[in-house]
Formats: sequence, structure tokens, C-alpha cells
Amino acid sequence: MTAFMPLVRGVIYAAIGFAIGAAISQGITSMTGESATEPMVVLGYVFAVIGWLMGIGMWKSWGRGWFGKSTNSDPTGNWGRYLRFNIDHKVIGIQYIVIFAVVFLLAGLLAMGMRYELADAGQNVFTKNTYNTTMSLHGIMMVAVAVAIMMGGFANYVLPLIIGAEDVAFPRINALSFWVVPPVVVLLLLSPLFGGFDTGWTAYPPLATQTPLGGLLFELAFLTFGISSILGGMNLIATIITQRAPGMTWGRLPIFAWSVLAASVIALTATQWIAYGLLMIIFERIFNMVFFSPPGGNALLYEHVFWFYSHPAVYIMILPAFGAELEIISHFARKPIFAYRWVVWAFALIVFLSFIVWAHHLFTSGMGESLHGPFMILTELISIPTGIVFLSALGTLWRSKLRLKIPLLFALGMVFNFSIGGLTGIFLADVATDIALQDTYFVVAHFHYTIMGGEIFGAFAAGYYWYPKITGRMYNENMARVHFGLMFIMYNITFLAMFVPGTVGMNRRIAEYPPEFEFMNLVTTIAAFGLGISFLPWVYNMINSWIRGPKAPDNPWDAKTLEWQTASPPILENFEDFPTVTGDPYGYGDDSVEHATYGRRFDEGDGHGHGHNVAPAEGD
Amino acid sequence: MTEHVPQHVNHRFSSLDINRLGLWLFLVSDASFFIALLSSRFFVVGTSTPEHVDQVLGLGLTILLLVSSLSAYKAEAAFEHGDIAGAKRMLLATIGMGIVFVAGVGFEWHEAFKHFPPSTGFGTVLFTLTGVHVTHVVTGVLTLGFVFFRIRNTTEIGDNQFAVEGAVKWWHFVDVAWVFIYPTLYLLK
Amino acid sequence: MTAAAIWVLLTIIGELFFLQLDIFGDTAATEQGHFIDEAFILLMVMAIPIFTFVITMILYVVLKFRAKGGELEDAAPTRTHKKWVGFWLAWTTILCLVVIVHPGYTGLIELRQTNAEEPDLTVNVTGRRWQWIYEYEGRDVSLYSKDDMLVLPNDSLIRFNITAEDQDVVHSFWIPAFRMKIDAVPGLTTYMDVNTTHTGHFNDDVNFRVQCAELCGMDHSLMFTRIEVVEPAEFEQWIADEAA
Ligand code: HEA
Ligand code: HEA
Ligand code: CUA
Ligand SMILES: [Cu+2]
Repeated sequence: MTAFMPLVRGVIYAAIGFAIGAAISQGITSMTGESATEPMVVLGYVFAVIGWLMGIGMWKSWGRGWFGKSTNSDPTGNWGRYLRFNIDHKVIGIQYIVIFAVVFLLAGLLAMGMRYELADAGQNVFTKNTYNTTMSLHGIMMVAVAVAIMMGGFANYVLPLIIGAEDVAFPRINALSFWVVPPVVVLLLLSPLFGGFDTGWTAYPPLATQTPLGGLLFELAFLTFGISSILGGMNLIATIITQRAPGMTWGRLPIFAWSVLAASVIALTATQWIAYGLLMIIFERIFNMVFFSPPGGNALLYEHVFWFYSHPAVYIMILPAFGAELEIISHFARKPIFAYRWVVWAFALIVFLSFIVWAHHLFTSGMGESLHGPFMILTELISIPTGIVFLSALGTLWRSKLRLKIPLLFALGMVFNFSIGGLTGIFLADVATDIALQDTYFVVAHFHYTIMGGEIFGAFAAGYYWYPKITGRMYNENMARVHFGLMFIMYNITFLAMFVPGTVGMNRRIAEYPPEFEFMNLVTTIAAFGLGISFLPWVYNMINSWIRGPKAPDNPWDAKTLEWQTASPPILENFEDFPTVTGDPYGYGDDSVEHATYGRRFDEGDGHGHGHNVAPAEGD
Repeated sequence: MTEHVPQHVNHRFSSLDINRLGLWLFLVSDASFFIALLSSRFFVVGTSTPEHVDQVLGLGLTILLLVSSLSAYKAEAAFEHGDIAGAKRMLLATIGMGIVFVAGVGFEWHEAFKHFPPSTGFGTVLFTLTGVHVTHVVTGVLTLGFVFFRIRNTTEIGDNQFAVEGAVKWWHFVDVAWVFIYPTLYLLK
Repeated sequence: MTAAAIWVLLTIIGELFFLQLDIFGDTAATEQGHFIDEAFILLMVMAIPIFTFVITMILYVVLKFRAKGGELEDAAPTRTHKKWVGFWLAWTTILCLVVIVHPGYTGLIELRQTNAEEPDLTVNVTGRRWQWIYEYEGRDVSLYSKDDMLVLPNDSLIRFNITAEDQDVVHSFWIPAFRMKIDAVPGLTTYMDVNTTHTGHFNDDVNFRVQCAELCGMDHSLMFTRIEVVEPAEFEQWIADEAA
């Protein structure tokens, strides 16, 4: 029972916080005249989050330290340690993975509802408003999953291990960035009860400034999620720079770490823009400001600000998935990553380009026509570095000794799917075709191919690949094969079929549509249900194997990277014998390359010329 | 129940270095926010500045903040030379100027409400830019106060180096942000 | 060698299959629409070989390079291959440039070359939740989206000046049969020029409709107007009747 105490305390403190914030807001607004609910909700929420964080354990394990008092942040214990403010990166990784797996299933369930509605042309189960809210909620929940599952989940768990560190650079900030996520989920799930938000996940104003209270909850949620991303990005960058094992030079850094570094740079800087955009909407709502609403404001401003974040954000999603994909392909092909250095440069170029292509979402928005050409060109240039990633994947596979295990199947599925997603991106980047295709199901199909077919497949690959390390147990291979087969086939039918109505004139974000498009939509719907079913064996397999699967060896894949050279699951500070890196991590078929040697944990000899700092890290 | 914080034994960076890096990264991120903030000025009201903007106050606030950055720097330098008393003095001076700055912005808001309330284009820009900035100033004052509280009884640098350095760096950042906001808000024609 | 053969074969099959589908037929009702359809088809023709290359590689690798009996065995450690990387970079760059020049850049020119010309008909369009309001400039005719049919002349250069009411939200003015769309933004006037080339009627082809293509709240999906494109003489007749 005591395991639930932090949660209970968090909820109680949050309630108290909300009451305080709401009271302050009421005090202020009653002084200036009209008393209003929205300022009350905003201020109440801010205090509620602080209360929640304090209750969940941040005060006990961090806050007290600021005032010179003793802190207690014991990361050990049984499953109860997952339910409180815990600074072990492995715990935090699992917390992220589990919470976002649940969000994924919920958002997928919403998609099933949408597909049911869209099976025929008319209006059935949903009213127009509930359909729009369902669609928007599906969109934003899935985007949150896509941003956080690799960066928050797998990067958190694997990155310190793969670079031979004990933890991330700022363990307590790491815990903080996880624990602001539950309020995000709660707000999103509550928002339908307060009128929902019928704006899509893009939430363009002026529409977004006119939604009911549910819209405000969405904005607060997205804003909070942004804070989590920023802190997470900062932490991962600092970790990669400062926490690498001795000898882990940049040229020996596993590709997954490179991809996380690239994505973190985007998360660190671009996310501020969405924070700003949402803040402007909130200001417009509670202070009657006029950023976007004419007269006075400029409706296109938000679209620029939003895409200045959200375009780079799609690379926050895909880059770590690329990293995991190449990593997995190399280990299962038993070959070094082909053109490793080129891929690193390609990542860098993708990051750079991702910041200067945002307006390809605005070709039909009425922005200045002189911008069309440059943004089209820059967008299409991204296909060159992305092509290098493909070259590397295919080059690694060529003349390899392939072992077709589940993670590899998902990685290959990702290569297949993302080639469709990427190539259709070119159709959208081209101004001429985009003018016809913008806001149609072609776009919907494009981004499901990139996000779901690319990143989510990559995340499943990563999930199966690191499952033995994370849980210490082996999943059931046959059931995983069923999952892959069903998911891959059904997924492709679902979303390939979506291209067709999109190309011939069906727009997105509608609950009813002309009956001409009915057949393809029915195909999509049926396949989508099949796709939904394919996750049942996955859920069962994951839970069941975690409880009673066979024990996994430390290194079931015979991979050479560091995370496999410690126990499964790893001990508290990751390595019993401390690694010193002596070669690159992909030395397959080349006996002269050894990735690391292992020494005693507190090796006093200091033979490698690295000093150590036995005093506890201060501050964070 | 033991206190557990990873020992970071394995890398070449001291915890001071790591904290510095973290702060720098955070500043980069926050700078990105200010860039967004500044760009919205041009989108919403172009480059026009209404004549009711209080130029004298704007200039005064700018000078005040620049001077406070100097005293913050002195505080850090004094602290690093072990001159705790001097550091405390300079910290207090900085905090004082920070509080005056906040009051100045409060006065400006009071005036601005008459000429350009938040529901006008320029009012929107003015209140958001100064508002976001002033929250940074307030956090700066609070951290400086907190640092003062931490070093009030000490006689040596001890483990407070990053606290002082970080707070002062934050204050410089807030100052630099204002150096961009001031011309954007007041000086454009 | 085999891989190359499979690739060529798959590409030929893919291209032939795609071309015989003739996905758009002759349904685009404007010059701009024809250009856009051709651009789409051209991009698809270029995308198919890339896609078949990826499939071929995956299939071939899976069938050919599987570890015998699933045994753990390392492959020869090829780390990189300058020639291949160079070759790959070269052709992706060339392809990219081709796409940028045509249909990309020519498209920009093509879709805007009517700017300077005097249109045969100007229609002022205003979006308001959830209807379109049309005003035929100089013709003294106004229409409402819900009940009326938007009648347009064939063989004409038509300019739409598009905006949305202040205090309203962003809409998007899209005519699928014309393949063109542009947002209707409060406080901003956008425009769209089309040269009609076909007659047509909503009842025969649903794409003869104005459809709002930017989510604008509850009745977004119903924010459409049926369109009929008729011969110019017939159009003049209709205008005269309406104005009367
Ligand atoms: C993970 C997410 C992800 C990724 C990686 C991408 C990748 C790309 N996207 Fe996509 N996109 C989205 C997610 C993503 N997108 C989302 C969510 C939306 C819609 C949001 C909304 O409106 O709700 C969207 C919308 C969107 C639009 C706007 C559509 C519209 O609304 O009108 C455009 C337009 O340019 C676009 C283009 C591209 C391009 C060019 C790439 C490129 O990066 C792709 C590059 C890859 C390849 C090209 C394939 C591999 C390359 C080769 C094999 C080499 C050879 C190829 C060539 C030389 C061509 N995307
Ligand atoms: C990570 C990103 C992601 C993923 C994985 C998905 C997954 C799916 N999406 Fe989603 N989608 C988006 C991101 C994503 N989507 C975004 C960003 C939008 C745009 C929103 C907007 O326009 O604003 C969108 C919009 C969107 C639309 C367009 C709506 C419209 O424009 O009107 C449609 C329509 O079919 C759709 C369908 C689906 C389907 C069928 C799946 C399937 O893959 C789902 C698979 C099913 C499951 C995962 C459910 C499994 C459930 C169980 C097995 C039950 C057990 C579980 C519990 C009891 C909890 N999506
Ligand atoms: Cu108007 Cu959608
Ligand atoms: Cu984009």
C-alpha cells in the first residue's frame, strides 16, 4: 500500500495547489471586475502541477536540498519505485515507455472510433463536434507518443548504457521531465468533458481562441509537454557530451547516441516556439490580446510559429528511430554500419535543414508567394541526407549474414514504410502538387507512413530489441511474429488505401464525405480494425513475458555495444566492471577491433588518464 | 535509506563543468524563446512605434539593468576572490536594482493601459514582451536572493561556486535579452 | 546482377501498371489542374524506380544473405565504399535537382503566369462559418453557398479574390475539379486564378464543388458549394437571369 503513497500525496497536493491558484486568480479578477473561469484554471493548474511534483517526491529528494536540509532519493525498491519521483534513468525510461504505450493504445482506440464513423459516407455514431474532438485528441496524443517514446523512453533507458555512463548528467531534472507528463495526459483526457477542442492537433487560431474550456486544457497540456521535451533534450545533450566512458571518442559513439544528440538539439531549441505559440493563444484567451485575431492581429503568425516547431519536431520523432534502425540492422546483419561517418553528417544536415523548411506547410495559406520557391527547394533537399540513411541501411544489409529476428523484421518494415512516407513527402514539397493535395487524405496517409510506418515501427523494433535488457526476460518469439506479420500487412492496406481518396478529392478532418469515396474508406476501416487487433498479441506478449517469460541472458543478440555487456536488467549504476572504450562498437568480422575493456569500478590506478571525482555531483 | 546521487566517477568533467554546460544549454533554449517573442512584434504591428511610448522610462530601465549587470559581475568576482562580504554587498545592490526595474515596468504598465491596452496590436506586443521579460527578472531576483541566503553565513567559497556563478550568469542573460527587447520595442520607427 | 534484373523488372511492371491506371483521366477542369495532374504523374513515374529499388534490396537481402541455419557468423566488415557513396550522392542530388526544376519551379511559373492578365470574370469570395458568400464583380450577382449553385463560364480566365470575415476563422477555398486551393484568412485577401477548360456539373462529378479545406469547427465538412461550369454564352444568359 505504501507504494501508492507518493501518488496519493501528489494528487492531494495538486488539489491543494489548484485551490490556492484558483483563489489567487479569483482574488485578482474580482478586484478588476469580472470574475472569469479561464484565468482561474490557468493559475490553478500552474499551482496544481507544482503541488503534484512536490507530492510525488520532488520535495523530498530534491527541494529540501536547496534549503540545506537532507534529501532522500533512494532509487531502489520493488515495483513501488516506479510510482514516485525516482532519479534512476532506467526507472524513468520504463516509466516513459509504459505511460506512452498506454497513451498509444488509447489514441489508437480513438482512431478505431474514427474509422468506424468513416466506414460510410454519412454521419453515424459521432456528432460533428465529438468527431472533431476525437480526431484532435487522437492527433495530439499520438504526436506526444511519437515525440516521447524514443527520446523519453528508449533514449533515457539506453543512452547512458550505450555510452558507458552511470546515469544521465542531471538525474533529478530527468525525473522532473517525466513527472510533468502525467498532468499532460490527465488534461488531455479531461478535455472532452469540458467541451473538447475541435481544432485538430495544429490548433490554428482564431478558431483555437474560441474553443470551450476543453481547448484551454489542450493548450496547457501541450505547453507542459513542451517543457518536458526541452528539459529532456538539454539533459540528453549534456549526457552525451560529458558522460561518455573513457575512450568513447566521437568517432566511436554508437549511431543511436548520435541520432539522439541530433534530435535533442531540435528539442532544445525548436520546442520553445510552440511554447510561445501556445502562450500567445492563452494570453489571447485570458487577457484579450490580439496576436492572431484581426483587426490588430495577424492570423498567419501562429501558423509560422507552430510549424517552426512542428516541422523540426517530426525529425525529433524520426531521427532516434533512424538511429535505432541502423543500430539493429548492424547487429543482426553482423556487419559494421555502412558509411557511418556519412550518416553522422547526414543527421547534422537534417537538423540544420529541418529549421528552414517549415513553410512547406503553408503553401496554400496565403503567405507571400516569393517564399514558395525557396521553401520548396530547401524541403526537397532534405531527401539527400535522408537518402544517405537509406544508403547506410541497405549498404549494411548487403553481403551480410542476416539473422531474421523480430527487431530486424521491424527495422526492415520501417525501411520499407518510410520509403513510401518519404517519397510522398516530395509530392507535398512540390508547390504545384501540394496545392491540390494539401489538407487531403494524401497528407494523412503521408504522415501516417512517416510517423507510424517510420517511427512507430522503429519504436517497436527498439522495444523488441531492448526488451530482454529492460525486463531481464525473453518475449515469446512466435507471438511476436504474429504481431509483426499482422501489423505490417494491415498497416500497409490501411494507409495505402488512404492515398486513393486523398488523390481524387477527399479532404481530411471530416466526419461525413461524398459517397463516391465510400469504397476505399471501407477498405481502410476494415484493415484498420485488423491493425488494431494486431496489437492484442503484442500487449499480451509484453505483459505476460515480463511476468513469466524465460530469463534472458545478458547479451541475447551477441551485440557488441556496451548496454549488452552488463546484467539484464542492469544494476543500479549500470556497470559492475567499468568499461574503457578501445574501438568502435560495430567491429563485426574484424577481430582487431574490440569495443571495450573492463576494469574495476573505482579503479584507483587511473591508468587511462581520466581523473575521477568522488564527491557527489552537486546541484543538478 | 541512503542518499543516492550518481557519483559521476567515470568522466572527465567535474560536476561544476556539467552544471555550467546545463545552464548554457538552457540559455540557448531560452534565447530561442526570446527570438520567437521578438519576431512576433514585426508580425503583429510591423515596425511602427506609437508616440505614447515612454522613451525616458525605457532608456532609464535599460541603463538601470546594464548597471545591475555590472554589480552582478562584481559580486561574482568578489566571491571568487573569497571576498564574501563584498559579494553580499554587490548581490544586494543587484537585487535592489532588479526590484526597482520591476517597479518601473509596473509603472509603465500602468501608463500603457491608458494608451494601448492589451486588446490593441501594440499593447499586445508591449505587454507580452515586457511581461515575459519581467518574469525572468523576477526569477533572477529570487535566485540572487536565494544565493544571498545561502552564502550569508559562509566565509569561503565552498560548494556555492555554481550557485553564485549560475545566478549571475542568469542575470546577465536577462540583461542581454533586454538589450534586444529595448530597441525592438522602443526605438523602431 | 540478379538484383539489378529484379529491380528493372519490378520497375517496368510498376510503371506500366501505374500508367495504365490513368488515375486522373481527363477530370481536371482547368489548365492549372492539367499541369498539376501531369506533375503528380511525373513525380510518381520518378518515385517508382526508387521505391522498387528499396523493395528489391530488402527482398534480395532477406532471401540471399540470410545466415545459414540462423547461425551466428560475422560478415566481411565492409565499413564504407567511397565509390558507392559518391554514386548514391550524385544520383540523389541529380534527381532532387530535376524535381526542383520540373515540376517544382516550372510549376511556380505556370501557376502564376496569369497574374498580369486581365481576368474574364472576377468573383469575390468571403468565408464565414460555415458558408461561402460569392459576389460576381461588376455583375450585381451574389450567391450563398448553402442553396445556390456557383455557375462559372468555360474557356475563361476566372479570378477569385478570397477572404474571411473579421472575427471569423481561417477557411480554405478549394475546388477539387480545378485542383486549386488557397486559404481564406480573416484580415487578408488572397487570390486564385484559373483557366477553365471543361464544362461540368456537381451531379456528374462531386469534384465540381467548392469545399472548405481548413478545419473551421463544427460544420466544416458541410461548408461547400456545388459548381456548374457552362459555355460562356449560357453563362451570360444565367447572369442576366440572376441579375434580373
Ligand atoms: C516523422 C514524421 C515525418 C517525416 C520524417 C516527414 C518527412 C517529410 N515530409 Fe512530412 N509531414 C509529417 C510528418 C513527417 N514528414 C506530418 C505529421 C505532416 C502533417 C501535419 C498536419 O498537417 O497535421 C507532414 C506534412 C508534410 C507536408 C505538408 C503537407 C500539407 O499539409 O500540405 C510536406 C510538404 O512539403 C511534407 C514533406 C515532407 C518531406 C519532403 C519529408 C522528407 O523528410 C522525406 C525525405 C525522405 C525521402 C525522400 C525518402 C528517402 C530518400 C531516398 C531513397 C533518396 C532518393 C530520393 C529522392 C532524391 C527524392 N510533409
Ligand atoms: C504516432 C502517430 C499516429 C499513429 C500511430 C496513428 C495511428 C492511426 N491513425 Fe492517426 N493521426 C495522427 C497520428 C497518428 N495516427 C495525427 C497527428 C493525425 C492528425 C490529426 C489532425 O488532423 O489534427 C491523425 C489523424 C488520423 C486520421 C484522419 C482524421 C481526419 O482527418 O478526419 C485517421 C483516419 O483514418 C487516422 C487513423 C489512424 C489509424 C486507423 C491508426 C492506427 O494505426 C491505430 C492502431 C490501433 C491501435 C493502436 C489500437 C489498439 C487498441 C487495442 C488493441 C485495444 C486495447 C487497448 C486498451 C483497452 C487501452 N488518424
Ligand atoms: Cu470553413 Cu472549414
Ligand atoms: Cu513539415
